[in-house]
Amino acid sequence: MSRVKGYGLSADPKAGWEVEIYQREAATVAAGRAARAQPGALGDEAEPGVLLDADGARVQAGVPTPILHLANFPLPAERGDYGGGAVELMGRGGVFISLLEHDPAEAASALFSRKQVPWPLGVGDFAPNQMQRTIGGQSGCQRFFVVGGRAFCLYVAIGSHTLRALVLPEVNQLLSTIEIS
Amino acid sequence: MTALVVLEGVVIVLLVVLVVGLLRSHAEILRRLHDLGAGLYDEGAPTSALSSATATASTVPETPHGRTRPGVAEPRPVATAVSDLSGTTPTGAVRGVAVRGVEHGTLLAFLTSGCSTCLDFWQAFRTGGADHLPGRDTRLVIITKGPEEESQSAVVDLAPEGITTLMSSQAFADYGVPVSPYFILVDGPSGQVVGEGAAGSWPQVRDLLVRAAADAGMAMPTGESHDVAAAKHRAFVGGRQREAFADDELRAAGIHPGHESLYPTEPIGGAVLHDHDHDHGDHAHQHDPAGGV
Repeated sequence: MSRVKGYGLSADPKAGWEVEIYQREAATVAAGRAARAQPGALGDEAEPGVLLDADGARVQAGVPTPILHLANFPLPAERGDYGGGAVELMGRGGVFISLLEHDPAEAASALFSRKQVPWPLGVGDFAPNQMQRTIGGQSGCQRFFVVGGRAFCLYVAIGSHTLRALVLPEVNQLLSTIEIS
Repeated sequence: MTALVVLEGVVIVLLVVLVVGLLRSHAEILRRLHDLGAGLYDEGAPTSALSSATATASTVPETPHGRTRPGVAEPRPVATAVSDLSGTTPTGAVRGVAVRGVEHGTLLAFLTSGCSTCLDFWQAFRTGGADHLPGRDTRLVIITKGPEEESQSAVVDLAPEGITTLMSSQAFADYGVPVSPYFILVDGPSGQVVGEGAAGSWPQVRDLLVRAAADAGMAMPTGESHDVAAAKHRAFVGGRQREAFADDELRAAGIHPGHESLYPTEPIGGAVLHDHDHDHGDHAHQHDPAGGV
């Protein structure tokens, strides 16, 4: 698969990896379908930056911002920005990466004090309690940073906390292919 | 009299020549129709074509192809090269889908938003027709041409919920798709095409794919598609189904709501159950007489 580019982000996934780059506004097109779906189709989760209406449909607000998803397993068509609906499918060797851009106005806040990309990640960066929602055995890592005036949150979920040292080289290799323009 | 007999003989010879010529012409027409797959005696023949290639074969065997009806693509003489997919989703996201070097199989459904035959497939997929697919944990990916050649809004309306739908003219070119609808079943681990072809209805495609999968050594019972199995697993791991499962297990063990084991009065694992003397701050909660929180 060749390099995938969109919305000022790009990644070069290795064989077997999947990628999607979308904007939150783009996801609102799917909201109509989500509204027709059974509530809870996305996992009953209320993720940061995403409001859910009574039907479970995603309601977008604010500046449209891009989101990049990378995974070494089939990305389901319907999933949350932080991988809700996808990370539940991961095996022990599974990796899910989400790079979420925030409103540029937040770039000056203390949360985004880091001024460079947070990768490569280390083994100690992962902890089960950093999962967006705890799933037995899995582990996560979340970092906030600013590059080129753009504020980002990097969220990485792996299928096994115990095996994190084994999958980390692959995670870092994939992260190193991400370009922010 | 002799002249009359000779004349009659000449006429008979001419008629024989004429009849023989007509019969040969008729035979030639039948042979041509037969070659085109529209033979007069082919009523029982399938209205579809789907070739199968073994995982190791580089070309489809050079045996005569199955005959096809007009409008249905014939199998190709050379095996299709498999490549990963990239394009956009109907909602405008940029998407890359892995097809080779993965554990699961992938059924690529090349459709358009316009053709009437394709509409039957869209409908079948929206109504769960692809919930059970042949092959190895097979995942359905629907592919239309890119937004430059296809109506994006129409695809948004047609795309079945929960099934990956990709708009990519490049994929049509990479796989040399001759006509829509067209289907290609790819074995992920080997990265080889197991079967491909076209048919007029989804049940025909499914049956032919089952045979193709069996020919390729993937002769396992048709199971839940990747997406259906994933949805069930997702619901079990992260949703209400897991809660219901836990409740069932507790009930089976004789632990019902209000059971005393749910309200221990002794410390568990070093945790101290309060009883209770702290400041609730801005919240309030009730405590039952057994000391539960």
